[in-house]
Amino acid sequence: MTSKTSSKISLLAALAAAAVLFGCKPAETGTAGGGGSGSGSGSGETKSARAMPTVEGPKVEGDTIKLGLVASLNGASKPWGEDCKSGAQLAVDEANAAGGINGKKIELMIEDSNSQPQDGRVATQKLVSEGALCVLGEVASGITRPMTDVTYAAGVPQVAIGATAVDLTQKYANIFRVCYNDDFQGPVMAKFAYDELKLRNVAVMTDNKLPYSQGLSASFKAAFEKLGGKIASEEFYEQGNAQFTGQITNLKSKNPDGIFLSGYFNEVGPIAKQLRQNSVNVPLFGGDGWDSTELINSGGDAIVGGYFCNHYTSTEDRPEVKDFLAKWKAKYGGEPGTTMGALTFDAANLVIQALKNCKELTAKELIAQIDQTENFKGVTGTITLKGQNGDPLKSALVVKVTRTGFDFAKSYSPEELK
Amino acid sequence: MRFWLVRLASVAVVLVGCFLLQQWAAASLTPYLQSLVFLAGGYVALAVSLNLINGITGQFSIGHAAFYMIGAYTTAFLTATFFKAQPLDSTAWVVLMVVAGSVVAGIAGLVVGLPSLRLRGDYLAIVTLGFGEIIRIVVQNVKALGGSFGIDCRVEPAPPSIMLMWLLAILTIAICRNLLKSAHGLPFLAVREDEIASSAMGVQVTKVKVTAFVVGSMLAGAAGAIYAPFQVFITPLNFDMYQSFIVLTMVVMGGTGSVTGSAIAGLLLYLLPEYLRLMKQPGTSKAISIGGPAVAAGLVGVIVLVWLLRVVQAKVVGSKWQRWAGNLGALAATALLVYLGSLALHGVPFLRSRNYTMAELRMAIFALVLIALMLLRPAGIMGHHEFSWDGIGKRLRRRTSGAKA
Amino acid sequence: MGLGLTLLPLAAFDPATLPGQLVYGILIGSIYALVALGYTMVYGILKLINFAHGEVFMLGAYVALFISWALGYTPEEMQRAPMPSSLMVLGLMLVGSMVVCGLVGVLIEFMAYRPMRNQPRISALITAIGVSLLLQYGGALFLPVSPPPVIREEANPVQGSLRVWIQKPPEPLLGQYTEAEREFEQAKDAHKNEQYKIRTNGTTEEKLAALSDKLAAARTRYSDLERQIQPKSIRLILPHGLLVMAGTSLVLMLFLRWLVMKTKIGRGMRAVSQDFDSAALMGVNVNTVVFTTFLIGSALAGAGAMMYALFQGLTISTFFGVAPGLKGFVAAVVGGIGNIPGAVLGGLIMGVAEALVIWSGLDMFKDAFGFVILIIVLLILPKGLLGSNKVEKV
Repeated sequence: MTSKTSSKISLLAALAAAAVLFGCKPAETGTAGGGGSGSGSGSGETKSARAMPTVEGPKVEGDTIKLGLVASLNGASKPWGEDCKSGAQLAVDEANAAGGINGKKIELMIEDSNSQPQDGRVATQKLVSEGALCVLGEVASGITRPMTDVTYAAGVPQVAIGATAVDLTQKYANIFRVCYNDDFQGPVMAKFAYDELKLRNVAVMTDNKLPYSQGLSASFKAAFEKLGGKIASEEFYEQGNAQFTGQITNLKSKNPDGIFLSGYFNEVGPIAKQLRQNSVNVPLFGGDGWDSTELINSGGDAIVGGYFCNHYTSTEDRPEVKDFLAKWKAKYGGEPGTTMGALTFDAANLVIQALKNCKELTAKELIAQIDQTENFKGVTGTITLKGQNGDPLKSALVVKVTRTGFDFAKSYSPEELK
Repeated sequence: MRFWLVRLASVAVVLVGCFLLQQWAAASLTPYLQSLVFLAGGYVALAVSLNLINGITGQFSIGHAAFYMIGAYTTAFLTATFFKAQPLDSTAWVVLMVVAGSVVAGIAGLVVGLPSLRLRGDYLAIVTLGFGEIIRIVVQNVKALGGSFGIDCRVEPAPPSIMLMWLLAILTIAICRNLLKSAHGLPFLAVREDEIASSAMGVQVTKVKVTAFVVGSMLAGAAGAIYAPFQVFITPLNFDMYQSFIVLTMVVMGGTGSVTGSAIAGLLLYLLPEYLRLMKQPGTSKAISIGGPAVAAGLVGVIVLVWLLRVVQAKVVGSKWQRWAGNLGALAATALLVYLGSLALHGVPFLRSRNYTMAELRMAIFALVLIALMLLRPAGIMGHHEFSWDGIGKRLRRRTSGAKA
Repeated sequence: MGLGLTLLPLAAFDPATLPGQLVYGILIGSIYALVALGYTMVYGILKLINFAHGEVFMLGAYVALFISWALGYTPEEMQRAPMPSSLMVLGLMLVGSMVVCGLVGVLIEFMAYRPMRNQPRISALITAIGVSLLLQYGGALFLPVSPPPVIREEANPVQGSLRVWIQKPPEPLLGQYTEAEREFEQAKDAHKNEQYKIRTNGTTEEKLAALSDKLAAARTRYSDLERQIQPKSIRLILPHGLLVMAGTSLVLMLFLRWLVMKTKIGRGMRAVSQDFDSAALMGVNVNTVVFTTFLIGSALAGAGAMMYALFQGLTISTFFGVAPGLKGFVAAVVGGIGNIPGAVLGGLIMGVAEALVIWSGLDMFKDAFGFVILIIVLLILPKGLLGSNKVEKV
């Protein structure tokens, strides 16, 4: 019997003692609490309330500048992660071959996020603790969001690559991205569908496992309804599903005149095929998740004629695009599989350009310089970050899927949408 | 009287120890190492609490992440809604959240535990797995919980999470250890060994099973409640099936039923992939990079090595030295094989053109280590044994007496 | 409601789509059943949940892919020239996947599971999880992420779909619709044939552009009519791919039933599944039985994977097997794991249930609902639908 009471009492004792310990905490933390309460969790409209890191970030000592990259080198997002790795390496090697920055070489440190938010956060902490002056990444919004807390706490700038969730850049002044966000992409496709495709009654298919897809669908629906269109129905699936006939039967009965597919190309291809098999021949369109050289292979004839919002196409005439594709081919052979190759290349180059402008090589100065970026000529378009609170001012491209690649259809500048 | 003094003293030592750990970590560790210390504590708590269900009571739950998730999301939801408008400071708030999280997770544990009255073994396993998936999918669709994007769970100023997590881990270990050492643990062990026989002997099987489930889930929920504010932002992806499997693996790897085994395996298995991240080329700060042929040969090599070691285990009966010679031989043979293999594979252009860093290889290595350990030590690191000072003493005495004889 | 579930108006429950949904449910369920068979066979013999089964499935898809590449069916080649008949290629892919998967399954059994046979079952389960992780993560080091194997569409014997009217639209519309459908198909074929000629310089840009315009016009007309008849008719569209998969599952299940019930090795399997040790004592060669079980179970996964990859068109990565593996496993348990007709029944129930969930407009909860069914079934019948309810004794 004693052991029972003893274990109970020891438990109680532990709790009591813990209470004593906590009791003495408030005095110490009470003062700090007042200052930090400003950056609470509101995802409100206060765009200008981006908090500048209070911590003095790292500065460069010695003759290497450490640049961190968090990418999904394992797990479900590996294809994107590999492109990120290649794109960043390409930019850094090029800069180093050109003499580095004021004679200092750039060292690219790549860490694996295992396609998981927890690992992504730990990887960022590792990079920061090893003295990274800037962190690039990630592709997925769900992994990027926890990373921003880490880079903010360390006072290090972070440039997100493909994360389009609106909330990401609203909180901290050290977070930037090189892609446009859902609030731009959704309206672009809504406007294109309403004005160019003359659609009025559109069905939406959302990948419910992806924050990206949920966010994009929401912003598309809002914009399309604002223009006067009607959302016929929204159907859901999860990444990795292969059979969509049920959802298709549902939306077919709603008689839509167009279908917005906000997921990744892996599922968009099969969905398109199954839509056509079910005699749904209305136009298909979607977001930048479609972009991949594999889209046509997985969607076949069914996806040909679809439209999506993209950052660039490999058939563009701009010198940046041609130059990038030539360098990529020379180093890795072939074309990058997804846009992430080009976006990471841009992100890295943007940071390198900012580094060149830095008067002293500190994280704080780098944040300021990245924030001053104006008319940066990237592969994915001309990027301006100055006065934009972390979200780039850049045009979106609507491209048409053809049998051999993507053709330019229309370009939307940010002003056109206002 | 002496008994109580020892008890109180050990409680005090634990509290002071965890407090000092927190202070030391906050003062002298990088955020990265703080994360490792924290998460290692978290996995110890999770593994030991699952061990209560799987190891000690012999039930078969493979969805432990669900309760972890419930604790974390309860905390996140309450924090996002109420934290700013209430007077408690962050530490007291997190302690309150631990209570809330563990209660909600405990209720969920009751809901899952009740079917366990009727279900056995693998059927129970799949129900727990399914429960985890159901919870994840529901959270994905609830806007108030942030959907698939996730939810902000900032508690400011940062609570002493490392201390709390390690206190929880030690509390979990203490509960399980005391259960095993006391008469109250016997019904649990009896249910593990044979449900029908123990029920015939008057053990209240139902009560035992449900208790194990509820307590195990509460502890996991508490771990989640401490995890969420430390992680600051949580998403459903933090709690997928992979997490459940990892925790289950820790329990089995440690030795089913052994509390210390679970704790040790929790530490080792969490830190292994992180250690692989930290590996550098000797003498430099450069990341290790291995060519494709060596990786391919290495993968095969490990499998061959495990196989050879098993042969040695089974066939070489003799003195300890003979066995060690056998093991060394196996190792040498494998090394030679890997070397020759990677030379031979160099002729394959597909492999030659590739290079892998540890960042890419770490998950594959983790899986290999898992299989190898399981094949070489099927009963786990500790088997059914527990670590105890007495045991160490006995072993030392035996060794010295053996030397004399 | 404070929780704010993202429920859209539950405008579903449309009686017109119900028959279609049910038929799809059955067809999709038969694919789940095929995967479930592999789980159930191994479980019946070894009482082991073979978590690596989904990864064997994944390897099957890769084998099919590599065979198609080896035969020159790369996406680039497909663009360039018409390929010879595909039936033989399909057969080769099927056989190749089955053989390789069967061998891999046997190898996994020999290397990883056989040593664990006398160990606690949970240790064997962890080994299975380890093998599964190794194939996922280790495989990802070498295997490409790629779209599934392609067969040129007009050479693909299972392209297209079976179309059945349940309720015909009124007459003038029906005639117009049928006409438009035919014209659309013709325009599509004409355009595609011309497109292949462009590679051999047998056509001109103008010719192609004209055909392309014609196709677009035909498509618009067809699509408009389709939308006109939609509220006035009900039509069942059954893709041939799905029918072939369902048919194959049925044939394989019957074959398995025959194997287990009528052959010597089948008798051995039944004996071993009833009592492993006694069967060994009675002279059943247990190793042969286990070998056969893994060979057949994995070969079935290979067949399933090849069809799954080809007809569903999902991108192949090393995580390809996770989702179907989980579904198949749940189906096996619903039907009563270890029971072959049970696996098929479980698969069908899962498929139909999911179809009904989609029909009711709750498709965001589709993947959770499979588990809800599972739990309900197990609460009523703890050993699954057809599982044997043996009384356990001390």
